[in-house]
Amino acid sequence: MILRLVIADGSQSPAVAESVEVSDDGVLTGWRSVSDGGVGWFAGQLPAGELAEIQALVGAVGAPPLDPPPPEAAEEVLELTATGPVAIAGITDGSGDWPSLATASRRLLDRLTDFPRAAVTVCYAAPSVARLVHRGTDPVRVGLGAVAVRATAWRGYYEPAGDWSGVVAGPAEVEARPGWTYDIAVGPEADGLGVDDDVIVHLAADFAILSGSARVPVRAKYTPAIAPPDALR
Amino acid sequence: MQASAQPLIEDGRYGPLTEAAVRTFQASVGVPVTGVLDAGTKARLDAAFAALPPPVRAVLTLGSTGADVGFAQQKLNALGCNPRLIINAVFDASMMVAVIKFEVGTMGRFPTGTVDAAMWTALDTAVKGGFVAPEGASATPVEQNTPSGTANSLGTQVAGTSLHPVVGVGGLTQGPGVRELQQKLNKAGASPALADDGVFGPLTQAALQAFQSGRVPPLPATGTADKATWDALDAVAPGSTAGAVERQWTEVVGGATYGMTGANAARYSWEIQKTRMVVTAKVNFVGLPPPGAWFGHVQSVWNQYQGVETASKKSMPIDFQMVRGAGGDAKTVQVLAGSGRANAGKWYAADPNAAYTVPHEFGHLIGLQDEYQLHPGDFVRATGHEPPVGDAAGPAVAPATIAANLQAAMLARNSVNARAASVGAGVGEGAFAQRVVQEYAKLATATVPAVAAVPGPPPVPAKPAVPLTGELLFDLNAALPNDNDRYDTIQAFSYSSGSIMGDPGRENDPHDHGAQSRHIAEFMAILGRALGGTWEAKRR
Repeated sequence: MILRLVIADGSQSPAVAESVEVSDDGVLTGWRSVSDGGVGWFAGQLPAGELAEIQALVGAVGAPPLDPPPPEAAEEVLELTATGPVAIAGITDGSGDWPSLATASRRLLDRLTDFPRAAVTVCYAAPSVARLVHRGTDPVRVGLGAVAVRATAWRGYYEPAGDWSGVVAGPAEVEARPGWTYDIAVGPEADGLGVDDDVIVHLAADFAILSGSARVPVRAKYTPAIAPPDALR
Repeated sequence: MQASAQPLIEDGRYGPLTEAAVRTFQASVGVPVTGVLDAGTKARLDAAFAALPPPVRAVLTLGSTGADVGFAQQKLNALGCNPRLIINAVFDASMMVAVIKFEVGTMGRFPTGTVDAAMWTALDTAVKGGFVAPEGASATPVEQNTPSGTANSLGTQVAGTSLHPVVGVGGLTQGPGVRELQQKLNKAGASPALADDGVFGPLTQAALQAFQSGRVPPLPATGTADKATWDALDAVAPGSTAGAVERQWTEVVGGATYGMTGANAARYSWEIQKTRMVVTAKVNFVGLPPPGAWFGHVQSVWNQYQGVETASKKSMPIDFQMVRGAGGDAKTVQVLAGSGRANAGKWYAADPNAAYTVPHEFGHLIGLQDEYQLHPGDFVRATGHEPPVGDAAGPAVAPATIAANLQAAMLARNSVNARAASVGAGVGEGAFAQRVVQEYAKLATATVPAVAAVPGPPPVPAKPAVPLTGELLFDLNAALPNDNDRYDTIQAFSYSSGSIMGDPGRENDPHDHGAQSRHIAEFMAILGRALGGTWEAKRR
């Protein structure tokens, strides 16, 4: 193992509990619990260039800084062979040995979602329809007995244009495989969800992934970017 | 007066719910129903409020338990009991000492060791609050806060740091911090007097060097206003009409230490104008640009108060603003795409709760600490309230048993068991939970062994061995995985307010909602130093 980053935050529900690990040969594995790119298991191979970059950053770190994390920060533990577990929530992105490594490690969590293995994501498939979609090659068991959905509509550059939330009952357990989708009706059109061309809808769908006997609450998110106007750049 | 369906939120706004309650009250007392709080209605309201029966108090003696014991403990604390009593709703030996001291010292009577009707009258006269009142037509029981005295809602300043940014060579060379320096140098006798222009030029530098070399003993004439120079200047000239603050601060929340230190310190400035005071947090937004609505959220929540000088009644609205900018007087905030839980340095462009999140984080930018999951002492200091009595009775399980079960869960690093032993057993925030805290402190200490990372799901990071300290919140935080069960467990044994700096999602306190006057106390002190007099924050 070259590094392992675990981020945990039980102050929100579902809790953030995510991990990414890079092995010596560049295999990238991990789990996402609250994510735009899907929730579940991920695995892939880092290109040689990216692996070399990570190796160089890991090899360059000295003694870790001791700044406290900012208020409301999640727990972030970075484990390196040389240092053991190091709390890095107080290290902001930036230049320098630990800030650079912290930045790169956090990006690996996003990079992870490029390699879905057994994951589920959500998208806004049509007006007032949230669609859960399987990602990856392996099946994943999901619990949809009570799917909590929040849909937020934006106009312009993140100007609130509508908000809807509700709980939708579905099957208690279903095995999602490649090609699997599941549609959920969200919000009346009166809430502004997708009626106007200039409205963009974001989604958050809370459900559970079943792993053995464990039932892990997760949140799949759909948050397409909204380009800022030139005046704000 | 139970004139509204639900308890009204004290947010300082005369909205439709308040108007409807006024109408209900007017109808109930037979005055014209206008929805307007006119003089006649106000007089009837004041009279009806004054006619409310006082709370029925129980006579308390050694061994008494229950909510009234907790309320008496609150009041004894508020009246200066030292050491402070733990609000555990148990009349124990330490409370007996406090009661006797109060009887002899304040009431001037031979000690009885009893909180009787006379003592209750004395306590209730001296300190308001400390009872449960049914509010709204729904008769929702609301514990009335017991004020503890002066609140300090700011985070704990890091020892040895200055509240002034470095100004001059190597530091800030323009802006309110320079204006503050120029004004103070002038008051310290700068000759010729400096223009108060906020630009650090040769004249300012020369005056600064002259001030430094003129001290006894002299300070190094560096031409840079560092901590030692600012300390000397503040002693000579405490007040100014503009200034900049760089606050290095920490807080303990849920047993963990957080802070804004070093390059991440809170930075803000203020300016006293002719008719208002403006407090500005300059933010260097990196990543995505900030949505425009965020700036309005700050003003909507924070621009509620004015400073009022107690003698002259002169008033000065306090306007807060967040502006974009860069430089040494700006705090960097990363704006990320999508949504997530923000922290003081990382905000999300698509945060659907930005109307709450941004004003909360703005509070941190001006040095305010969180008001959730606090130790009792921190809660008293930050909120100016005694810790609420809350759940005084608890479940039918001995506190010592719960404490032992919690320790066993910690030794196993099992947050599910910790929650089951506490929240799951019926423990909620308040006096009974503090009895568990006391019992936990009596347990023999132990060390939680190191644990390797668990891949999960959910994944858990590797943790070093943890020696348990006997301090429950610290130990829960250190020993258990950071998940919902741990958070819920810590919530039960700590205190939270419902204010903008607290946790309004979990703490529904209609009396402590949104921005509170305590949050802007610092600026009242600044007004006093600059303009003289004593200033109080009042709703506009």
